[in-house]
Amino acid sequence: MAPVPQPGAAVVADWHRDADSREFFSRILHKKRRRKFSLLESPVMPPHLAVDTVHYKVFISGKSGVGKTALAARLAGRSIPSMHYETTGIETTVVYWPVKLRESGRVLFFRLQLWDCGENALRRFDHLLPSCKEQLDAVLFLFSFTDRTSFDDLSNQIAKWSGPSDRLVKLVVGTKYDLFMHSDVTEREVTRFQEEWGSPVLRTGGEVSDGLGDVAALLNGLAENLWHQDCVAASQHSQQATGTLI
Amino acid sequence: MFGGGQGVLLSSCETERGGKVVWRVFQDSVMLIAVNGGQGGGGGSSRGEELSLQRLLENVWSSMVLVLGQDELASVRNVERLKRDLRSCFSLIDQLLEEKQEGIMGNLTHCADCLVPPNPTLLQEAVENFTQAADSEFGCLMVHGRIAVATEKWWRLAPQEVVLLSALMRSLSASGSASCDYPVFLPHGSPTVAHRLLRFQLLPGADVCVLCGPTPSLLRAETTLVGRFWLPLADTLRDCLAVGERCLPGSVSLRPDVLALLLINRETRRSVSCVRASSDSSVPSRARCWELLKLFYIFSTTRYFSQEETLCVSPEEKPQRSSCEDFAPGFSHQPLQCYLVTEECKCYTLQTPQHQLFLLTPLSVPTFALRTVATHTLSAITAATGF
Ligand SMILES: Nc1nc2c(ncn2[C@@H]2O[C@H](COP(=O)(O)OP(=O)(O)O)[C@@H](O)[C@H]2O)c(=O)[nH]1
Ligand SMILES: [Mg+2]
Repeated sequence: MAPVPQPGAAVVADWHRDADSREFFSRILHKKRRRKFSLLESPVMPPHLAVDTVHYKVFISGKSGVGKTALAARLAGRSIPSMHYETTGIETTVVYWPVKLRESGRVLFFRLQLWDCGENALRRFDHLLPSCKEQLDAVLFLFSFTDRTSFDDLSNQIAKWSGPSDRLVKLVVGTKYDLFMHSDVTEREVTRFQEEWGSPVLRTGGEVSDGLGDVAALLNGLAENLWHQDCVAASQHSQQATGTLI
Repeated sequence: MFGGGQGVLLSSCETERGGKVVWRVFQDSVMLIAVNGGQGGGGGSSRGEELSLQRLLENVWSSMVLVLGQDELASVRNVERLKRDLRSCFSLIDQLLEEKQEGIMGNLTHCADCLVPPNPTLLQEAVENFTQAADSEFGCLMVHGRIAVATEKWWRLAPQEVVLLSALMRSLSASGSASCDYPVFLPHGSPTVAHRLLRFQLLPGADVCVLCGPTPSLLRAETTLVGRFWLPLADTLRDCLAVGERCLPGSVSLRPDVLALLLINRETRRSVSCVRASSDSSVPSRARCWELLKLFYIFSTTRYFSQEETLCVSPEEKPQRSSCEDFAPGFSHQPLQCYLVTEECKCYTLQTPQHQLFLLTPLSVPTFALRTVATHTLSAITAATGF
């Protein structure tokens, strides 16, 4: 797997707290809550501030009840369903997130489309997984802090997704971190896993608050990895191009 | 079950406190039992209660078939597995039990809840072209959880399927997701082979869906078709959304003395319903009006009018079922209108060969004027919309 950038190396961390981000974040907010974007809508910037939007497809993987649907809702700023209903097909969620690149100071809107599909549905219907894999850019591997087996199964899950063409960002997310009192997974185990895996384990949990602070670390981390992957691919591509020229 | 062993058909019973228990066996395999707490839900009559519970059983069974397919339910090989798989149906079943969304009557009437758009032609064309481009003939545009326009083939699905797919669309839409690819079995049309229900949220409150086979993939349909067919219609969609829960366009002017109405087209099995907002404290609240409308529908259909038979009864079951209907007090003639005056409002039903109109008015409307209000309302709606 391509080396993952140090968190904060490529994009400005916690940019939503800076004054110069307000113009951009206000486009994804409505009455102090996150705006929901349907397919025909997107954030509209005034002409003098026009920015590019980059599109990515992200699959959320993990066993039933681990918190996939809740994570998609959280990242979009929706309230989290209190009941667990199985997701009996594919559901996608659109998330817009402004990001400031550290080096150039350039601002981009990331349009992340999160693909969520219940494990049982994937098992029962063969056509769903290929559909989720089509033109995929990233996978989030979920485990729950309250479910030991979901943590133990991570390496298995990740192994299933390593193919010859490795243009896929892979991140691990621990859910239900707010229930640390009932945690089945210790900090030391998480630390050890991070060292072996060579990349940080992101965490989520608790109530959805303003829809910015509670998701900034995760969305910036995801955006950074996606951007990095594109940069690596672009430089390889241009090297190949110059190679053939000579 | 004891009675069944003796060849007796018992289909419901009542508890001492007036609770009602109704059950039914589906596909010789699954028995569903519905129990209610006694009060309400039946228009004050035992037969009315039975109607809503029977409807509930049918709807629950059809939801189970919709999600799991008939094979898995009819020939149970592994009960533990079935129990686990049944969890996939809970979302739809809970929705049927809770009846949360006001203004949705289809679960009861088995007629599709519709919204009449101000400019249907453009939307109709768009749905047809979009559906065709998605390799399908079955497509439908839902606005505020009701069908605004649909392809002809969509309307040829069994009425109950249309109602059920609408319920599924509402729950998917409420989850706030942007698009879906859901495997669905059609309880009547395709109980053993799953189709794909693709749904796209065009604007908040406006969703388009198609029923299709293996192609196109969700990603391809979304990236190549949604923008192409629907971006040019964004403003038309907004006009349609502005109709709101009234479900009828501005061109229909309702008389001020209409509190609430449910209009059923008996041929097309479609319905529109609405409750008028009122600040007047002497009339029932919106929520209560919806409740009263349902109760009145049950009251008039169980006592006077036949609801069109869409009960999903298998042919071999039919003679048994109709034999229990014979116990109902029969009329030698077919009633055309009926009214009811309660402590909260007045109610009036009008039946023509093509329509059934159920109307609520405030108590202040004189009873002798109800019929005029009803006939005016019916012709105002049909003249302006052709519903
Ligand atoms: N306390 C807490 N509960 C959560 C969290 N994420 C999910 N849940 C709950 O866990 C259950 C299953 O979540 P869901 O997202 O539906 O699981 P899925 O099957 O992976 O989609 C639901 O009842 C959620 O409310 C979290 O971060 N904290
Ligand atoms: Mg789920």
